[in-house]
Amino acid sequence: MRPADNIEESIKKLRYKTDTETHEKILGNVLQTLDKNEKQDSGGTRPDMWRTIMNAKTRKFATAAVILIAAIISLHFIAGPFGATTSVYAEVAERLHKALTMTYKMTTTTPLEEMPDMEMEVSFKEPGLMRMTMEGGYVSVMDSVRGKGLSIIPEKKQFVEMDMSNLPDDPSKNPLNVIEKLRSLPDRADEELGTREINGQVVQGFRVTEEGITSTVWIDPKTKELVEVEVEFVNAPGMGGTMTDIRFNVELSDELFSITPPDGYTRLELQVDVSEASEDDLIEYLRLWSSWTRDNSFPPTLNPVELAKVSMEMVKAGKFGPEEQTTEEQGMDRAMKMTRGMMFVMKLPTESNWRYAGENVKHGDAETPIFWYQPEGSETYRVIYGDLSVKDVAPENLPQ
Amino acid sequence: MLEDGLLIWKLKGGSKDALRAIYEKYADDLVTLAANLINDKVGAEDVVQDVFISFAESVDRFRLTGSLKGFLATCVANRCRDCIRKNRRGQAAVIGKAERSSPEVKSPVQLVIDSEELRKLGNALTELPYEQREAIVLRLHGDLRFRQIAKMQNVSTKTVQSRYRYGLDKLRSSMNGEVRK
Repeated sequence: MRPADNIEESIKKLRYKTDTETHEKILGNVLQTLDKNEKQDSGGTRPDMWRTIMNAKTRKFATAAVILIAAIISLHFIAGPFGATTSVYAEVAERLHKALTMTYKMTTTTPLEEMPDMEMEVSFKEPGLMRMTMEGGYVSVMDSVRGKGLSIIPEKKQFVEMDMSNLPDDPSKNPLNVIEKLRSLPDRADEELGTREINGQVVQGFRVTEEGITSTVWIDPKTKELVEVEVEFVNAPGMGGTMTDIRFNVELSDELFSITPPDGYTRLELQVDVSEASEDDLIEYLRLWSSWTRDNSFPPTLNPVELAKVSMEMVKAGKFGPEEQTTEEQGMDRAMKMTRGMMFVMKLPTESNWRYAGENVKHGDAETPIFWYQPEGSETYRVIYGDLSVKDVAPENLPQ
Repeated sequence: MLEDGLLIWKLKGGSKDALRAIYEKYADDLVTLAANLINDKVGAEDVVQDVFISFAESVDRFRLTGSLKGFLATCVANRCRDCIRKNRRGQAAVIGKAERSSPEVKSPVQLVIDSEELRKLGNALTELPYEQREAIVLRLHGDLRFRQIAKMQNVSTKTVQSRYRYGLDKLRSSMNGEVRK
């Protein structure tokens, strides 16, 4: 084929290559610039991966870790609102009862400009199959029946296998039982919000709060269709997500839910924990944070929105130690641990009377309580101390 | 995109490995882009070095809003324009087809597929008005959309599409041995 025959393809072949020596020279100069930059930074401190998440200025820091976190968050969102919103679906119960598949778009939101919104498309199919896709082709598939999951990172040709055998035993807490939950629909809306318009459609709103998550559900009273669900964490106002484009009984091929890694992909060693976030996750979160601060102090707040703001100031003030060299897997693992710790606090209900008092307390201080809460049904409180030990304490003995 | 997000994330944390990875991922594409724009292979390397140095200097403030390659390609294109303007002003040699047609001029940058036909095509590309060449090269080597090129050239998308089409027509004619103004 002559170049004139397919001129565009021929132009693409007009490629130039620099020799290795020149590349190394250029790269050396570029890296030197980075070195100079760092020396000019205050105290030479550099945020590590988590602090970078908190400070991320990138519009789309869509990394494997973040997407995995999003997957976990999404599962909790789903477990929350659908487990909780009950009477609000009464009118659509019959329609939902026949649903075998469900798809929707989820947009996560934060009140922080620095933390970009993330969009994902979610699909469910009986029995217990879930698939999430994000911009960039990142896909996560979970199969609750087989207790396995798979996430693929197309650009890197890598995959992560998830062992989901640690899903909660209680079926009502199994995030993959979404459709089943929708079918049950008991009558429990906390508040009726009246009507509003969404894209020219008049919808009726209901609000319900459960497990630290407030869900606002908008239903079209004429068509009985679920139009939008807004989810917000009570303990982190402004942080949450919105479900839109909700569809039922869409035809979804089984191939979409395959958990077989594509050919040519390599395994990324990462343990993904999809169990319910627990007190241990919070302790790990506190331990990690205190290992990053120069004085081993705990975070000044557990509100993730506030913490994101404060952490930026702390980076500027040089309050973090030098970056620890970590592998990609270690970084992702940490990011997930941190998220799980935050999830535990964000989902604590108001009735747990939780309180955080870790500001300015240093790791190792066995005398000072830094966090306490009352587990549901318990007469005593769980109190975490500065050495990260935990004791059961009677209400009358709590710190004032 | 995913990997780029992760690399930027790490780079903001001061990772040299991330900067190295970004460089290794895109340097050859960018050198190709610059070499096709200014037809100066050594100059192309200088352009790419300057772009990466600026990138390293400003990474703290950098915010990835599209593709990283698109961003770097835009930086390269802007710098190439500056080079051409400077060369025009100073009457310095904007490297023309002489270099491509002089195999004895050894440059560290080499055409990857060194065929006579492609060399002719490269020369024909050099002959195009700069705006047409830029539209073609940014589209085919920078993977930029017409909309993005239009923004850069400060013209409408339709104008860029016309420039692209006219440019390709001229190249076809050149390669078929037709004389066309």
